[in-house]
Amino acid sequence: MEITGISSGFRGMNKAKTPLRRTIRGGRHYFFADPAIDKLLAMLVTLASEVWAGRERLAALESIGVKRGMLGVGEVDAHEFDEAEEAALAAQRKEFIDSLFRVIAENRTRTETPEVRRVSAVRKSVRPQRAARVSIKKARVSAKNALAKKRRAR
Amino acid sequence: MLEPKHSLRLTKTRDEKARMNFVSGLRGYVLNDLANDMRAAFETAVEPEFRGRQKRAPKDGREVHKAIKENEHFKFYSSLRVTAQDMVWQSVLPPLERQRDELKTKAHQLEAKGVGSLQLKPTFAVPRYASAIDVHLMPGNYDSEFDQGDLSAGALYDNGLAVFSFGLMGQNLDDIGQSIARFVRAKYPEFHPNNILDLGCTIGHNTGSWKDTYPQARVRGIDVAAPCLRYAHARAAAQGRAIDFEQMNAEQLEYPDASFDLVFSSMFLHELPRASIARTFAEAHRVLRPGGLMLHMELPPNGQLSPYDAFYLDWDSYYNNEPFYKPYRDLDPQTICRAAGFASDNYLQFVIPSIGWYGEQVWAEALREQQSVDSDKTGRLTDGIRWYCFGAWK
Repeated sequence: MEITGISSGFRGMNKAKTPLRRTIRGGRHYFFADPAIDKLLAMLVTLASEVWAGRERLAALESIGVKRGMLGVGEVDAHEFDEAEEAALAAQRKEFIDSLFRVIAENRTRTETPEVRRVSAVRKSVRPQRAARVSIKKARVSAKNALAKKRRAR
Repeated sequence: MLEPKHSLRLTKTRDEKARMNFVSGLRGYVLNDLANDMRAAFETAVEPEFRGRQKRAPKDGREVHKAIKENEHFKFYSSLRVTAQDMVWQSVLPPLERQRDELKTKAHQLEAKGVGSLQLKPTFAVPRYASAIDVHLMPGNYDSEFDQGDLSAGALYDNGLAVFSFGLMGQNLDDIGQSIARFVRAKYPEFHPNNILDLGCTIGHNTGSWKDTYPQARVRGIDVAAPCLRYAHARAAAQGRAIDFEQMNAEQLEYPDASFDLVFSSMFLHELPRASIARTFAEAHRVLRPGGLMLHMELPPNGQLSPYDAFYLDWDSYYNNEPFYKPYRDLDPQTICRAAGFASDNYLQFVIPSIGWYGEQVWAEALREQQSVDSDKTGRLTDGIRWYCFGAWK
């Protein structure tokens, strides 16, 4: 068996190619009282990384444009959109903001659609059953307590 | 953008480069700005409160850790540092996944140059302390193999370290090796090592500096992780350095007694349990010839740092999957050298300014005058870093 060179080594022998692992053995730590805050912070930073990637990409495009004579230096900063472009951008901006706050908007409109009405009707019908379960549980606990009290009194 | 300076370097898209730049910038911000905020919070709020309660200052890093845990600056520093650490590897994995086969082809072409050598052992058992968890949150750790002859762990480490170190480890990630090897040559002009061994060399990024500094010497690098050694071999060949890499455990060196003039390691001991450190030192002593030098570049020991700085470095042990980091740093370097058979009088330690950060002049001043280990720059990845090393003559 070959023991020298890059292809050698027991654990790599005849091993089928599998994707590189992305997860961490040993896990990661969380620091805030609610780990959700750490997770949200990680999402925010990942998003910031993408925002930054977008900015570098734009800078690259501008730089290429200037080098090829398609753009003057500072032309993008000085650029004004015409009316039609302005309107199209405004519509896209509105769409973007709507989608950003979709979660809140869903709460706002929940009673308005037939589907939401159906769901809330089901929820309402479930609620009394749940209340009944809770009151049965409460009754059991208070009966148990009363029994214990009686025993102690004896 | 900082990236490996050799032909094994991964090709990255514009967006991938931007993400790496972002992570480097984020790490720079966390390790400089947020670290300063956290220290200020300790000095102005956490410590005074501790004194008020206990009628004394915290006595060690453990007490500082306990006292600072609920402080918001600690939480933001820590949470963002963990996230940034994770993002370092995540920024490299997509281009690496895409170029795995190409990387292997390149490595084979480099191997064909016949520069240096590589020996892997068919039945080698990676010790559990080196394989059980992903150290510093690097998915797959140093040793995982995802296909035959895999060298992706080495590539992940090389490209990731460039993002991780945001320039503080040098363009070729060898600032530690360059700063220390050249320091040894200047400090001890009579010392001419012909056989040099680098323990736990990973991708050989600091092994090469010894070859540069002592070109006549035979330089060998050992490690337990095959994918890193494959990469190290190809990387050294790409840079024209003849180094012999072998898969071997530093606790059981397969070399005869008195066969080396210099046994070196960098950032290695803190990955080992204490019993393994003791065996590694005993082996280093055995393979050194009389008059030879054992030298370890490491994080500074807790015994020589203020409680706050001790806590600051211990952070990795608690939160960066470095279980042996604090136990190692709680040891006294001089004591462990003596226990391995080195005479107390032969002990030495240095704080060496990073040659890349400070330049030749400041670096050379350390040859004449040594600075205290106790500083917020020693062994810490921050602007103005200084490397700590210790060891003994046999």
